[in-house]
Amino acid sequence: MGARAVYGIVVREWLRFLRQRGRVLSSLARPFVWLIFAGAGFAAVFAGRDAIDYRVYMAPGLLGMVVMFGALLAALSTVTDRDAGVLRMVLVAPIRRSTIAIGKALAATLLGTVQTLAVAAVLLPLVGLRPTWDGALLALAGIVLSSLATGSLGVLLAAGMRSIENFAGVMNFVVFPMLFLSGALYPIGHLGPVLHVLTYLNPLAYGVDLLKHALLAPWTGAGYGGELRVALDVVALVGFAVVGLAGATPLLAREGGVTRAAFRERA
Amino acid sequence: MTAAAIAASGLGKDFGAVRALDRLDLEVREAEFFGFLGPNGAGKTTTVHLLATLLAPSRGGARVAGYDVARDGLAVRRRIGLVFQETTLDRDLTVEENLRFAARLWDLPRRVAEPRIDRLLSQFGLDGRRREPVRALSGGLRRALDIARGILHEPRVLFLDEPTAGLDPRARRSLWQLIRALRESTGLTVFLTTHYVEEAEPCDRVAILDGGRLAALGAPADLKGEAGVGSLEEVFLARTGHPFADGGAA
Ligand SMILES: Nc1ncnc2c1ncn2[C@@H]1O[C@H](COP(=O)(O)OP(=O)(O)OP(=O)(O)O)[C@@H](O)[C@H]1O
Ligand SMILES: [Mg+2]
Repeated sequence: MGARAVYGIVVREWLRFLRQRGRVLSSLARPFVWLIFAGAGFAAVFAGRDAIDYRVYMAPGLLGMVVMFGALLAALSTVTDRDAGVLRMVLVAPIRRSTIAIGKALAATLLGTVQTLAVAAVLLPLVGLRPTWDGALLALAGIVLSSLATGSLGVLLAAGMRSIENFAGVMNFVVFPMLFLSGALYPIGHLGPVLHVLTYLNPLAYGVDLLKHALLAPWTGAGYGGELRVALDVVALVGFAVVGLAGATPLLAREGGVTRAAFRERA
Repeated sequence: MTAAAIAASGLGKDFGAVRALDRLDLEVREAEFFGFLGPNGAGKTTTVHLLATLLAPSRGGARVAGYDVARDGLAVRRRIGLVFQETTLDRDLTVEENLRFAARLWDLPRRVAEPRIDRLLSQFGLDGRRREPVRALSGGLRRALDIARGILHEPRVLFLDEPTAGLDPRARRSLWQLIRALRESTGLTVFLTTHYVEEAEPCDRVAILDGGRLAALGAPADLKGEAGVGSLEEVFLARTGHPFADGGAA
Protein backbone atom coordinates (compact mmCIF):
# COMPACT_ATOMS: atom_id res chain seq x y z
CA MET A 1 0.00 0.00 0.00
CA GLY A 2 2.66 2.47 -0.93
CA ALA A 3 5.20 1.64 1.78
CA ARG A 4 8.04 3.05 -0.29
CA ALA A 5 6.10 6.28 -0.90
CA VAL A 6 5.39 6.64 2.83
CA TYR A 7 9.09 6.08 3.51
CA GLY A 8 9.99 8.70 0.91
CA ILE A 9 7.67 11.27 2.47
CA VAL A 10 9.08 10.58 5.94
CA VAL A 11 12.70 10.81 4.74
CA ARG A 12 12.00 14.12 3.04
CA GLU A 13 10.48 15.65 6.18
CA TRP A 14 13.38 14.37 8.24
CA LEU A 15 15.96 15.93 5.90
CA ARG A 16 14.10 19.23 5.90
CA PHE A 17 13.92 19.17 9.69
CA LEU A 18 17.67 18.57 10.04
CA ARG A 19 18.35 21.59 7.82
CA GLN A 20 16.21 23.95 9.84
CA ARG A 21 18.59 24.69 12.70
CA GLY A 22 16.40 27.42 14.13
CA ARG A 23 13.39 25.14 14.31
CA VAL A 24 15.39 22.39 16.01
CA LEU A 25 16.94 24.71 18.56
CA SER A 26 13.75 26.54 19.46
CA SER A 27 11.81 23.31 19.83
CA LEU A 28 14.48 21.94 22.17
CA ALA A 29 14.82 25.16 24.17
CA ARG A 30 11.11 26.01 24.52
CA PRO A 31 10.25 23.60 27.38
CA PHE A 32 13.22 24.79 29.42
CA VAL A 33 12.15 28.39 29.03
CA TRP A 34 8.73 27.37 30.33
CA LEU A 35 10.33 25.38 33.12
CA ILE A 36 12.31 28.39 34.29
CA PHE A 37 9.72 31.14 33.93
CA ALA A 38 6.35 29.45 34.26
CA GLY A 39 7.84 26.96 36.70
CA ALA A 40 9.12 29.70 39.00
CA GLY A 41 5.89 31.67 38.90
CA PHE A 42 3.38 28.83 39.26
CA ALA A 43 5.42 27.00 41.88
CA ALA A 44 4.61 29.77 44.36
CA VAL A 45 0.84 29.57 43.91
CA PHE A 46 0.56 25.87 43.06
CA ALA A 47 -2.00 24.22 45.33
CA GLY A 48 -0.12 20.95 45.64
CA ARG A 49 3.30 22.23 46.62
CA ASP A 50 3.35 20.24 49.86
CA ALA A 51 2.79 17.00 47.98
CA ILE A 52 4.86 17.52 44.81
CA ASP A 53 7.44 20.00 43.54
CA TYR A 54 5.72 22.01 40.81
CA ARG A 55 8.64 21.45 38.42
CA VAL A 56 8.18 17.71 38.74
CA TYR A 57 4.44 18.09 38.23
CA MET A 58 5.10 20.13 35.09
CA ALA A 59 7.49 17.65 33.46
CA PRO A 60 4.89 15.45 31.69
CA GLY A 61 3.07 18.54 30.48
CA LEU A 62 6.27 20.03 29.12
CA LEU A 63 6.93 16.80 27.23
CA GLY A 64 3.38 17.00 25.89
CA MET A 65 4.11 20.52 24.78
CA VAL A 66 7.19 19.38 22.84
CA VAL A 67 5.08 16.66 21.23
CA MET A 68 2.48 19.18 20.19
CA PHE A 69 4.84 21.77 18.76
CA GLY A 70 7.01 19.10 17.13
CA ALA A 71 4.26 17.09 15.51
CA LEU A 72 1.88 19.93 14.73
CA LEU A 73 4.52 22.12 13.09
CA ALA A 74 5.78 19.17 11.07
CA ALA A 75 2.26 18.44 9.86
CA LEU A 76 1.66 22.09 9.01
CA SER A 77 4.45 21.84 6.43
CA THR A 78 1.67 20.52 4.20
CA VAL A 79 0.57 24.15 3.81
CA THR A 80 4.01 25.25 2.59
CA ASP A 81 4.07 22.22 0.30
CA ARG A 82 0.88 23.44 -1.29
CA ASP A 83 2.31 26.93 -1.76
CA ALA A 84 5.64 25.68 -3.12
CA GLY A 85 3.99 23.27 -5.54
CA VAL A 86 5.55 20.16 -4.00
CA LEU A 87 2.10 18.89 -3.06
CA ARG A 88 1.04 18.84 -6.72
CA MET A 89 4.06 16.80 -7.62
CA VAL A 90 3.16 14.33 -4.89
CA LEU A 91 -0.44 14.25 -6.12
CA VAL A 92 0.64 13.27 -9.61
CA ALA A 93 2.54 10.25 -8.26
CA PRO A 94 0.77 6.91 -8.58
CA ILE A 95 -0.22 6.71 -4.92
CA ARG A 96 -3.50 7.09 -3.07
CA ARG A 97 -4.39 10.30 -1.28
CA SER A 98 -4.56 8.33 1.96
CA THR A 99 -0.93 7.27 1.47
CA ILE A 100 0.06 10.93 1.39
CA ALA A 101 -1.87 11.65 4.59
CA ILE A 102 -0.31 8.63 6.30
CA GLY A 103 3.18 9.60 5.17
CA LYS A 104 2.75 13.13 6.48
CA ALA A 105 1.32 11.92 9.78
CA LEU A 106 4.09 9.37 10.30
CA ALA A 107 6.71 12.00 9.51
CA ALA A 108 5.11 14.24 12.13
CA THR A 109 5.10 11.31 14.56
CA LEU A 110 8.79 10.73 14.00
CA LEU A 111 9.71 14.39 14.42
CA GLY A 112 7.51 14.83 17.49
CA THR A 113 8.90 11.68 19.10
CA VAL A 114 12.56 12.41 18.41
CA GLN A 115 12.34 15.97 19.72
CA THR A 116 10.45 14.90 22.82
CA LEU A 117 12.91 12.10 23.63
CA ALA A 118 15.79 14.56 23.27
CA VAL A 119 14.11 16.97 25.67
CA ALA A 120 13.16 14.17 28.09
CA ALA A 121 16.77 13.03 28.30
CA VAL A 122 17.70 16.38 29.83
CA LEU A 123 14.47 17.46 31.50
CA LEU A 124 13.74 14.37 33.59
CA PRO A 125 17.17 14.23 35.31
CA LEU A 126 17.02 18.01 35.74
CA VAL A 127 13.81 17.90 37.79
CA GLY A 128 14.89 14.67 39.48
CA LEU A 129 12.32 12.34 37.93
CA ARG A 130 13.57 8.80 37.58
CA PRO A 131 10.90 6.68 35.91
CA THR A 132 10.74 2.92 36.36
CA TRP A 133 11.28 0.71 33.34
CA ASP A 134 7.54 0.22 33.02
CA GLY A 135 7.01 3.92 33.39
CA ALA A 136 9.61 4.70 30.75
CA LEU A 137 7.99 2.28 28.29
CA LEU A 138 4.56 3.71 28.94
CA ALA A 139 5.97 7.22 28.50
CA LEU A 140 7.48 6.22 25.16
CA ALA A 141 4.14 4.82 24.04
CA GLY A 142 2.47 8.01 25.21
CA ILE A 143 4.91 10.19 23.28
CA VAL A 144 4.53 8.16 20.07
CA LEU A 145 0.72 8.01 20.31
CA SER A 146 0.28 11.68 21.11
CA SER A 147 2.66 12.62 18.29
CA LEU A 148 0.58 10.47 15.96
CA ALA A 149 -2.69 12.01 17.14
CA THR A 150 -1.55 15.65 17.02
CA GLY A 151 0.33 14.99 13.77
CA SER A 152 -2.75 13.49 12.09
CA LEU A 153 -4.98 16.31 13.27
CA GLY A 154 -2.28 18.71 12.11
CA VAL A 155 -2.40 17.21 8.62
CA LEU A 156 -6.18 17.67 8.64
CA LEU A 157 -5.80 21.28 9.75
CA ALA A 158 -3.11 21.95 7.14
CA ALA A 159 -5.06 20.25 4.36
CA GLY A 160 -8.00 22.53 5.14
CA MET A 161 -5.94 25.72 5.34
CA ARG A 162 -5.68 28.12 2.42
CA SER A 163 -2.33 29.60 3.27
CA ILE A 164 0.25 29.86 5.95
CA GLU A 165 -1.14 33.30 6.80
CA ASN A 166 -3.66 31.53 9.01
CA PHE A 167 -0.75 30.43 11.09
CA ALA A 168 -1.18 33.03 13.85
CA GLY A 169 -4.81 31.96 14.07
CA VAL A 170 -3.72 28.38 14.53
CA MET A 171 -1.41 29.34 17.35
CA ASN A 172 -4.07 31.42 19.15
CA PHE A 173 -7.08 29.23 18.63
CA VAL A 174 -5.55 25.77 18.52
CA VAL A 175 -2.13 25.54 20.14
CA PHE A 176 -2.65 27.67 23.25
CA PRO A 177 -6.11 26.36 24.15
CA MET A 178 -4.82 22.82 23.62
CA LEU A 179 -1.95 23.53 25.94
CA PHE A 180 -3.96 25.18 28.72
CA LEU A 181 -6.76 22.62 28.57
CA SER A 182 -4.42 19.65 28.63
CA GLY A 183 -3.53 19.36 32.28
CA ALA A 184 0.03 20.31 31.37
CA LEU A 185 0.12 23.21 33.81
CA TYR A 186 -2.54 22.33 36.43
CA PRO A 187 -4.80 19.34 37.10
CA ILE A 188 -7.82 19.27 34.82
CA GLY A 189 -10.10 18.63 37.79
CA HIS A 190 -9.55 22.24 38.89
CA LEU A 191 -11.21 23.63 35.74
CA GLY A 192 -14.84 24.77 35.71
CA PRO A 193 -17.44 22.43 34.15
CA VAL A 194 -17.48 24.05 30.69
CA LEU A 195 -13.74 24.00 30.26
CA HIS A 196 -13.62 20.54 31.77
CA VAL A 197 -15.89 19.24 29.02
CA LEU A 198 -13.64 20.86 26.41
CA THR A 199 -10.67 18.91 27.70
CA TYR A 200 -12.36 15.73 26.50
CA LEU A 201 -12.07 17.06 22.93
CA ASN A 202 -8.40 17.83 23.36
CA PRO A 203 -6.00 15.15 22.10
CA LEU A 204 -3.16 16.64 24.10
CA ALA A 205 -5.13 16.11 27.33
CA TYR A 206 -5.07 12.33 26.76
CA GLY A 207 -1.39 12.44 25.83
CA VAL A 208 -0.44 14.40 28.92
CA ASP A 209 -2.62 12.14 31.06
CA LEU A 210 -0.81 9.11 29.71
CA LEU A 211 2.52 10.73 30.47
CA LYS A 212 1.37 11.45 34.01
CA HIS A 213 0.45 7.78 34.45
CA ALA A 214 3.93 6.95 33.23
CA LEU A 215 5.96 9.51 35.15
CA LEU A 216 3.91 10.68 38.14
CA ALA A 217 2.57 7.33 39.38
CA PRO A 218 3.95 7.87 42.93
CA TRP A 219 1.80 11.01 43.27
CA THR A 220 -1.45 9.45 42.06
CA GLY A 221 -2.73 9.18 45.58
CA ALA A 222 -2.16 12.90 46.15
CA GLY A 223 -4.20 13.67 42.99
CA TYR A 224 -1.32 14.62 40.69
CA GLY A 225 -0.96 11.46 38.62
CA GLY A 226 -3.07 10.41 35.64
CA GLU A 227 -6.76 11.23 36.03
CA LEU A 228 -8.26 9.03 33.28
CA ARG A 229 -7.85 5.36 32.58
CA VAL A 230 -4.77 4.38 30.55
CA ALA A 231 -6.97 2.42 28.14
CA LEU A 232 -9.19 5.45 27.56
CA ASP A 233 -6.13 7.59 26.81
CA VAL A 234 -4.86 5.08 24.29
CA VAL A 235 -8.22 4.61 22.58
CA ALA A 236 -8.83 8.35 22.41
CA LEU A 237 -5.40 9.07 20.89
CA VAL A 238 -5.82 6.36 18.26
CA GLY A 239 -9.32 7.68 17.57
CA PHE A 240 -8.03 11.22 16.99
CA ALA A 241 -5.38 9.85 14.62
CA VAL A 242 -8.01 7.97 12.59
CA VAL A 243 -10.31 10.99 12.44
CA GLY A 244 -7.44 13.24 11.36
CA LEU A 245 -6.30 10.91 8.59
CA ALA A 246 -9.79 10.18 7.31
CA GLY A 247 -10.63 13.89 7.23
CA ALA A 248 -7.38 14.98 5.63
CA THR A 249 -7.41 12.47 2.78
CA PRO A 250 -10.11 14.07 0.59
CA LEU A 251 -8.98 17.61 1.44
CA LEU A 252 -5.42 17.05 0.28
CA ALA A 253 -6.28 16.78 -3.40
CA ARG A 254 -8.67 19.72 -3.47
CA GLU A 255 -8.14 21.98 -6.51
CA GLY A 256 -5.40 19.72 -7.74
CA GLY A 257 -3.17 20.80 -4.89
CA VAL A 258 -3.15 24.43 -5.94
CA THR A 259 -4.36 27.19 -3.68
CA ARG A 260 -6.66 29.78 -5.11
CA ALA A 261 -4.26 32.39 -3.75
CA ALA A 262 -1.30 30.85 -5.53
CA PHE A 263 -3.41 30.63 -8.64
CA ARG A 264 -4.40 34.31 -8.55
CA GLU A 265 -0.82 35.46 -8.23
CA ARG A 266 0.01 33.59 -11.38
CA ALA A 267 -2.91 34.78 -13.47
CA MET B 1 -2.94 -2.12 -29.54
CA THR B 2 -3.20 1.02 -31.65
CA ALA B 3 -4.88 2.81 -28.78
CA ALA B 4 -4.32 6.54 -28.77
CA ALA B 5 -1.94 7.87 -26.13
CA ILE B 6 -4.52 10.49 -25.24
CA ALA B 7 -8.20 10.51 -26.18
CA ALA B 8 -10.46 13.22 -24.80
CA SER B 9 -14.14 13.38 -25.61
CA GLY B 10 -16.31 16.29 -24.63
CA LEU B 11 -13.84 17.00 -21.84
CA GLY B 12 -14.67 20.15 -19.91
CA LYS B 13 -14.01 21.94 -16.65
CA ASP B 14 -15.72 24.82 -14.87
CA PHE B 15 -14.33 26.73 -11.90
CA GLY B 16 -17.47 28.21 -10.43
CA ALA B 17 -18.77 30.48 -13.17
CA VAL B 18 -15.54 30.34 -15.19
CA ARG B 19 -15.68 27.87 -18.05
CA ALA B 20 -11.98 27.04 -18.24
CA LEU B 21 -12.41 24.27 -20.80
CA ASP B 22 -15.58 23.89 -22.84
CA ARG B 23 -15.83 20.51 -24.60
CA LEU B 24 -12.57 19.19 -25.90
CA ASP B 25 -12.40 16.34 -28.42
CA LEU B 26 -8.85 15.35 -29.11
CA GLU B 27 -6.71 12.35 -29.99
CA VAL B 28 -2.97 12.19 -29.61
CA ARG B 29 -1.23 9.21 -31.17
CA GLU B 30 1.41 7.14 -29.53
CA ALA B 31 4.95 8.57 -29.90
CA GLU B 32 3.48 11.76 -31.30
CA PHE B 33 5.02 15.14 -30.51
CA PHE B 34 1.91 17.20 -29.89
CA GLY B 35 1.84 20.95 -29.38
CA PHE B 36 -0.99 22.56 -27.41
CA LEU B 37 -0.99 26.30 -28.04
CA GLY B 38 -3.13 29.08 -26.73
CA PRO B 39 -3.02 32.52 -25.17
CA ASN B 40 -2.94 33.11 -21.40
CA GLY B 41 -6.01 31.69 -19.74
CA ALA B 42 -6.98 29.59 -22.77
CA GLY B 43 -7.26 26.48 -20.61
CA LYS B 44 -4.00 24.70 -21.44
CA THR B 45 -2.97 24.00 -17.86
CA THR B 46 -6.52 23.02 -16.97
CA THR B 47 -6.48 20.46 -19.80
CA VAL B 48 -3.14 19.04 -18.68
CA HIS B 49 -4.35 18.76 -15.08
CA LEU B 50 -7.54 17.02 -16.21
CA LEU B 51 -5.55 14.54 -18.28
CA ALA B 52 -3.16 13.97 -15.37
CA THR B 53 -6.10 13.20 -12.99
CA LEU B 54 -5.31 16.19 -10.76
CA LEU B 55 -8.68 17.75 -11.52
CA ALA B 56 -12.01 16.01 -11.90
CA PRO B 57 -13.79 16.81 -15.20
CA SER B 58 -17.03 18.81 -15.01
CA ARG B 59 -18.21 16.98 -18.15
CA GLY B 60 -16.94 14.49 -20.68
CA GLY B 61 -13.99 12.22 -20.09
CA ALA B 62 -10.62 11.11 -21.32
CA ARG B 63 -8.38 8.08 -21.61
CA VAL B 64 -4.64 8.44 -21.19
CA ALA B 65 -2.24 5.58 -21.97
CA GLY B 66 -5.31 3.38 -22.33
CA TYR B 67 -6.92 4.15 -18.95
CA ASP B 68 -9.87 6.27 -17.96
CA VAL B 69 -8.82 9.38 -16.03
CA ALA B 70 -11.88 9.31 -13.80
CA ARG B 71 -11.98 5.60 -12.99
CA ASP B 72 -8.34 4.51 -13.18
CA GLY B 73 -6.44 7.50 -11.85
CA LEU B 74 -3.68 5.37 -10.36
CA ALA B 75 -3.10 3.47 -13.61
CA VAL B 76 -2.97 6.74 -15.55
CA ARG B 77 -0.58 8.35 -13.10
CA ARG B 78 1.70 5.33 -13.25
CA ARG B 79 2.18 5.85 -16.98
CA ILE B 80 2.51 9.61 -17.28
CA GLY B 81 5.12 12.19 -16.43
CA LEU B 82 4.16 15.80 -15.78
CA VAL B 83 6.41 18.82 -15.70
CA PHE B 84 4.33 21.59 -14.16
CA GLN B 85 4.24 25.15 -15.38
CA GLU B 86 5.91 26.29 -12.16
CA THR B 87 8.73 24.28 -10.68
CA THR B 88 7.60 21.83 -8.02
CA LEU B 89 11.02 20.91 -6.67
CA ASP B 90 11.76 21.01 -2.97
CA ARG B 91 14.19 23.91 -2.79
CA ASP B 92 15.61 22.83 0.56
CA LEU B 93 16.64 19.40 -0.67
CA THR B 94 19.63 18.71 -2.88
CA VAL B 95 19.39 17.74 -6.52
CA GLU B 96 19.81 14.04 -5.83
CA GLU B 97 17.51 14.10 -2.78
CA ASN B 98 14.75 15.50 -4.98
CA LEU B 99 15.22 12.67 -7.44
CA ARG B 100 15.31 10.04 -4.69
CA PHE B 101 12.12 11.46 -3.22
CA ALA B 102 10.45 11.07 -6.61
CA ALA B 103 11.88 7.57 -7.07
CA ARG B 104 10.25 6.48 -3.79
CA LEU B 105 6.93 8.09 -4.65
CA TRP B 106 6.98 6.17 -7.95
CA ASP B 107 7.92 2.99 -6.10
CA LEU B 108 11.25 2.44 -7.84
CA PRO B 109 13.55 0.16 -5.85
CA ARG B 110 16.96 1.59 -5.05
CA ARG B 111 18.82 -0.70 -7.43
CA VAL B 112 16.67 0.57 -10.31
CA ALA B 113 16.57 4.20 -9.22
CA GLU B 114 20.23 4.86 -8.49
CA PRO B 115 21.65 4.00 -11.94
CA ARG B 116 18.83 5.94 -13.59
CA ILE B 117 19.51 8.95 -11.41
CA ASP B 118 23.21 8.81 -12.31
CA ARG B 119 22.39 8.58 -15.99
CA LEU B 120 19.84 11.41 -15.96
CA LEU B 121 22.12 13.71 -13.98
CA SER B 122 24.93 13.36 -16.47
CA GLN B 123 22.54 13.57 -19.43
CA PHE B 124 21.06 16.81 -18.05
CA GLY B 125 24.35 18.40 -17.10
CA LEU B 126 23.66 18.20 -13.38
CA ASP B 127 26.34 15.73 -12.44
CA GLY B 128 28.60 18.19 -10.67
CA ARG B 129 25.69 19.76 -8.79
CA ARG B 130 24.04 16.69 -7.32
CA ARG B 131 24.81 17.55 -3.69
CA GLU B 132 23.77 21.19 -3.98
CA PRO B 133 20.41 22.41 -2.72
CA VAL B 134 17.97 23.22 -5.49
CA ARG B 135 17.75 26.84 -4.32
CA ALA B 136 21.35 27.26 -5.51
CA LEU B 137 20.55 26.25 -9.11
CA SER B 138 19.86 28.61 -12.00
CA GLY B 139 16.40 28.65 -13.53
CA GLY B 140 17.62 26.61 -16.50
CA LEU B 141 19.12 23.87 -14.36
CA ARG B 142 16.02 23.76 -12.16
CA ARG B 143 13.91 23.23 -15.23
CA ALA B 144 16.28 20.52 -16.42
CA LEU B 145 15.92 18.86 -13.03
CA ASP B 146 12.12 19.19 -13.20
CA ILE B 147 12.20 17.34 -16.51
CA ALA B 148 14.68 14.73 -15.30
CA ARG B 149 12.34 14.04 -12.40
CA GLY B 150 9.39 13.90 -14.78
CA ILE B 151 10.95 11.06 -16.78
CA LEU B 152 12.69 9.19 -13.95
CA HIS B 153 9.96 6.54 -13.90
CA GLU B 154 10.06 6.18 -17.71
CA PRO B 155 6.54 7.36 -18.47
CA ARG B 156 4.84 6.60 -21.77
CA VAL B 157 3.25 10.01 -22.03
CA LEU B 158 5.07 13.15 -20.95
CA PHE B 159 3.20 16.41 -20.34
CA LEU B 160 5.33 19.52 -20.51
CA ASP B 161 3.45 22.63 -19.36
CA GLU B 162 5.36 25.62 -20.70
CA PRO B 163 8.71 24.05 -19.95
CA THR B 164 10.78 26.91 -21.32
CA ALA B 165 8.96 29.86 -19.76
CA GLY B 166 11.49 32.18 -18.17
CA LEU B 167 14.55 30.48 -19.63
CA ASP B 168 17.30 32.21 -21.59
CA PRO B 169 17.84 31.20 -25.24
CA ARG B 170 20.78 28.92 -24.49
CA ALA B 171 18.94 27.05 -21.72
CA ARG B 172 15.92 26.79 -24.01
CA ARG B 173 17.92 25.33 -26.84
CA SER B 174 19.58 22.71 -24.67
CA LEU B 175 16.20 21.73 -23.23
CA TRP B 176 14.86 21.15 -26.72
CA GLN B 177 17.89 19.07 -27.58
CA LEU B 178 17.28 16.96 -24.49
CA ILE B 179 13.64 16.47 -25.33
CA ARG B 180 14.42 15.55 -28.94
CA ALA B 181 17.02 13.01 -27.84
CA LEU B 182 14.55 11.58 -25.37
CA ARG B 183 11.85 11.18 -27.98
CA GLU B 184 14.23 9.54 -30.42
CA SER B 185 15.56 7.07 -27.89
CA THR B 186 12.30 6.10 -26.15
CA GLY B 187 9.38 6.72 -28.51
CA LEU B 188 7.80 8.81 -25.77
CA THR B 189 4.57 10.65 -26.49
CA VAL B 190 5.09 14.33 -25.68
CA PHE B 191 2.22 16.73 -25.01
CA LEU B 192 3.67 20.22 -24.96
CA THR B 193 1.86 23.39 -24.01
CA THR B 194 3.46 26.70 -24.82
CA HIS B 195 2.74 30.21 -25.90
CA TYR B 196 6.12 30.54 -27.57
CA VAL B 197 4.51 29.50 -30.80
CA GLU B 198 7.75 29.01 -32.72
CA GLU B 199 8.69 26.23 -30.30
CA ALA B 200 5.82 24.17 -31.66
CA GLU B 201 7.11 24.24 -35.27
CA PRO B 202 8.83 20.83 -34.91
CA CYS B 203 5.65 19.24 -33.49
CA ASP B 204 3.95 16.51 -35.51
CA ARG B 205 0.60 18.21 -34.91
CA VAL B 206 -0.59 21.20 -32.95
CA ALA B 207 -3.89 22.25 -31.48
CA ILE B 208 -4.72 25.87 -30.81
CA LEU B 209 -6.98 26.53 -27.85
CA ASP B 210 -8.73 29.82 -27.28
CA GLY B 211 -11.14 30.63 -24.48
CA GLY B 212 -11.53 26.95 -23.60
CA ARG B 213 -12.39 25.95 -27.19
CA LEU B 214 -10.38 24.29 -29.92
CA ALA B 215 -9.65 26.90 -32.59
CA ALA B 216 -7.43 24.82 -34.88
CA LEU B 217 -5.93 21.34 -35.12
CA GLY B 218 -3.48 19.88 -37.60
CA ALA B 219 0.11 19.51 -38.73
CA PRO B 220 1.97 22.85 -38.66
CA ALA B 221 2.54 22.69 -42.42
CA ASP B 222 -1.16 22.07 -43.13
CA LEU B 223 -2.31 24.86 -40.82
CA LYS B 224 0.09 27.29 -42.47
CA GLY B 225 -1.05 26.16 -45.92
CA GLU B 226 -4.74 26.54 -45.09
CA ALA B 227 -4.23 30.01 -43.70
CA GLY B 228 -1.83 30.95 -46.47
CA VAL B 229 0.77 32.21 -44.03
CA GLY B 230 4.43 31.44 -43.48
CA SER B 231 4.66 30.80 -39.77
CA LEU B 232 2.75 29.09 -37.02
CA GLU B 233 2.77 32.35 -35.17
CA GLU B 234 0.66 33.95 -37.88
CA VAL B 235 -1.74 31.03 -37.72
CA PHE B 236 -1.92 31.52 -33.98
CA LEU B 237 -2.64 35.24 -34.27
CA ALA B 238 -5.27 34.66 -36.91
CA ARG B 239 -7.07 31.96 -34.93
CA THR B 240 -7.07 33.42 -31.43
CA GLY B 241 -8.72 36.53 -30.05
CA HIS B 242 -6.35 39.08 -28.63
CA PRO B 243 -7.17 41.44 -25.79
CA PHE B 244 -5.63 44.51 -27.43
CA ALA B 245 -7.73 44.24 -30.58
CA ASP B 246 -11.39 45.27 -30.82
CA GLY B 247 -13.55 42.25 -31.18
CA GLY B 248 -11.62 39.05 -30.52
CA ALA B 249 -10.83 36.73 -33.40
CA ALA B 250 -9.54 38.52 -36.49
N1 LIG C 1 -8.18 26.78 -9.62
C1 LIG C 1 -8.86 27.69 -10.37
N2 LIG C 1 -9.85 28.42 -9.81
C2 LIG C 1 -10.52 29.33 -10.55
N3 LIG C 1 -10.30 29.59 -11.85
C3 LIG C 1 -9.33 28.89 -12.46
C4 LIG C 1 -8.54 27.92 -11.75
N4 LIG C 1 -7.66 27.38 -12.62
C5 LIG C 1 -7.87 28.00 -13.81
N5 LIG C 1 -8.87 28.91 -13.73
C6 LIG C 1 -9.38 29.74 -14.86
O1 LIG C 1 -9.50 28.90 -15.96
C7 LIG C 1 -9.05 29.54 -17.16
C8 LIG C 1 -7.98 28.69 -17.81
O2 LIG C 1 -6.80 28.69 -17.01
P1 LIG C 1 -5.51 27.86 -17.37
O3 LIG C 1 -4.57 28.01 -16.25
O4 LIG C 1 -5.91 26.49 -17.77
O5 LIG C 1 -4.99 28.63 -18.65
P2 LIG C 1 -3.62 28.48 -19.43
O6 LIG C 1 -3.97 28.31 -20.86
O7 LIG C 1 -2.78 27.44 -18.83
O8 LIG C 1 -2.96 29.91 -19.21
P3 LIG C 1 -1.43 30.34 -19.08
O9 LIG C 1 -0.89 30.45 -20.44
O10 LIG C 1 -1.50 31.67 -18.40
O11 LIG C 1 -0.75 29.32 -18.24
C9 LIG C 1 -8.60 30.91 -16.75
O12 LIG C 1 -9.65 31.81 -17.05
C10 LIG C 1 -8.41 30.84 -15.29
O13 LIG C 1 -8.76 32.08 -14.72
MG1 LIG D 1 -0.93 27.39 -17.98
